[in-house]
Amino acid sequence: MKNIVLTSVVTALLVFSGCSSKDPIVDESATEVVAQPAQEVASVDTETVGKDDASVTSENGMSGADSNEMTMANLEKEMLSVYFDFDKFNITSQMQTKIANDATLAKTSANSFMIKLEGNCDEWGSDEYNFALGLKRANAVKNALVSEGVDANRITMVSYGESNAVCSDKTKECWAKNRRVDFKLLP
Amino acid sequence: MKIVFIWLFLLSYAFASDATIEVIKKVESLPTLAVEDSSISYDDTFKLEFFKTLVSDLNVISLFNVDRHYRETHFNDTNVITDNKDMNYVLRYKMFEDDDGALNIETKLISNSANVFIKNYKISSKNVYMFVAHAIAFDINEFMGAPSVAWMKNKVIFSRVIDAKLSEIVLSDYTLNYQHVLVKGGFNVFPKWANKNQDAFYYTSFNSTKPTLKRVKLSTGVTETIISSDGMMICSDVSVDANNLLLTMAPNGQPDIYIYNVNTKKYKRVTTYGGIDVNGQFLDDENIVFISGRLGYPNVFSKKIGSSSVEQMVYYGKSNAACSVNGEYIVYKARESSNAFSENTFNLHLISTKTNFIRRLTATGVNEFPRFSKDGDAILFIKNYKEQSALGIIRLNHNKNYLFPLKYGKIQSLDW
Repeated sequence: MKNIVLTSVVTALLVFSGCSSKDPIVDESATEVVAQPAQEVASVDTETVGKDDASVTSENGMSGADSNEMTMANLEKEMLSVYFDFDKFNITSQMQTKIANDATLAKTSANSFMIKLEGNCDEWGSDEYNFALGLKRANAVKNALVSEGVDANRITMVSYGESNAVCSDKTKECWAKNRRVDFKLLP
Repeated sequence: MKIVFIWLFLLSYAFASDATIEVIKKVESLPTLAVEDSSISYDDTFKLEFFKTLVSDLNVISLFNVDRHYRETHFNDTNVITDNKDMNYVLRYKMFEDDDGALNIETKLISNSANVFIKNYKISSKNVYMFVAHAIAFDINEFMGAPSVAWMKNKVIFSRVIDAKLSEIVLSDYTLNYQHVLVKGGFNVFPKWANKNQDAFYYTSFNSTKPTLKRVKLSTGVTETIISSDGMMICSDVSVDANNLLLTMAPNGQPDIYIYNVNTKKYKRVTTYGGIDVNGQFLDDENIVFISGRLGYPNVFSKKIGSSSVEQMVYYGKSNAACSVNGEYIVYKARESSNAFSENTFNLHLISTKTNFIRRLTATGVNEFPRFSKDGDAILFIKNYKEQSALGIIRLNHNKNYLFPLKYGKIQSLDW
């Protein structure tokens, strides 16, 4: 057989030229940093606070924003996660009392916040169907809240599929804890 | 009697090319192949690493009984190493670094003391050596006249979940030997190649109020926001011409499949069932296959875009929650056991839309997210077994599965 020497530069990678650095090409954790030309900035405004103005009326002495976050965090703790049966997205009768509690909070102390419902599943698959199941669970909770008088426009939904587990043991009890809808408040 | 034989012959001929029929090949009948290293640059660790990768690739092409002993010799020696004298084939290679730091590899395939195939390779950095190994295996497969293993040179993109609501999108080769993080920070899943050239990809970002589909150009990293939806947003499939996407969106908490045109940026709802319709896959330009919960459990259906009628495609399996399509073949994930503690919970199955045969493709663990190669020769999938997540390759025509474990995290979804 005639020997033909073929030379080939392996091109498979060459599209990797954009990846020659160790850094990822997209970093969603960081804000974009844009270099600015050096520029002199104005000095910081100062003010002197008189003795009368120095007394704080708010009891906890926090700024409005901090206080808001604290209120949201405390309210989130009071809102009860709703749990579901395997491969189901209907709300069981045991969960109705939790929904009633959540709806009351949503209409009273939490009435100035948006509500984000996060649907979650157990570890029975990373596919789209499991994400959809989590979403149908969130939607079932949304409908229940709306029928209890919560404004539908205040509610957004998202599904994390099996990717937001609170328990990682291989037990039925553990999986049951992961089949849930959590409440998050947004300003 | 003659008629019976003729019938048997015709029957065996008719089934010969059906991938749902298991191919039983005797391992002993494959030709033997040994690999000899004649490298003059690089340290022993790297030399052994390259050898291991090449031997693994030569195994995956499934044409040889590959000898796994590492042996060194001179590249120009006319005789093969004594231990290898009875081998049908010997693959000898020489790696050397040139003045530019590029990795050069000369190879020759020796059979019956003759060089039957010679080819040289060059790549800019030794860190991406695995792609040269894949290219060598691809070329030897071509030389042997076997059906193409072009998928071997494809890039794989997958999302790796590393903590609750925390994942990264990773570019790799099919063996996971090469890995490069493309997107990190927050929760980003369901990466999908934007075209067959694999120079851009889509993914779902969960880092704003609504799940958002983004498109990233690989060479520049320039990211473009495509579309958002409350609840769910996944790019399930890209048409062959890259102009249309099948998306799963849930604007009113109702997961359905939509077709989105990349050029006009307009979309149209394809499914309207009130339960779950997801995982749309183009069967051709007019028809899709998808997963629906309309029977009370997830199963595989098909429909013509724009028509209301739906056809059930699969009649086996209790819960068939994911699928991939290539021509007449559908590979799907089926729950085999309702016992959650069984070692055999989800397996992949292959059916043909033209016959009634079902072939089980996996045997243990949780096997999911099947994706056909473009030519239908292989299926890439995720295997989770005994706390480990691995990428698997099924060679349909050789009845063999190969597994490549992930060192940390869990593979959520993939494309190639």
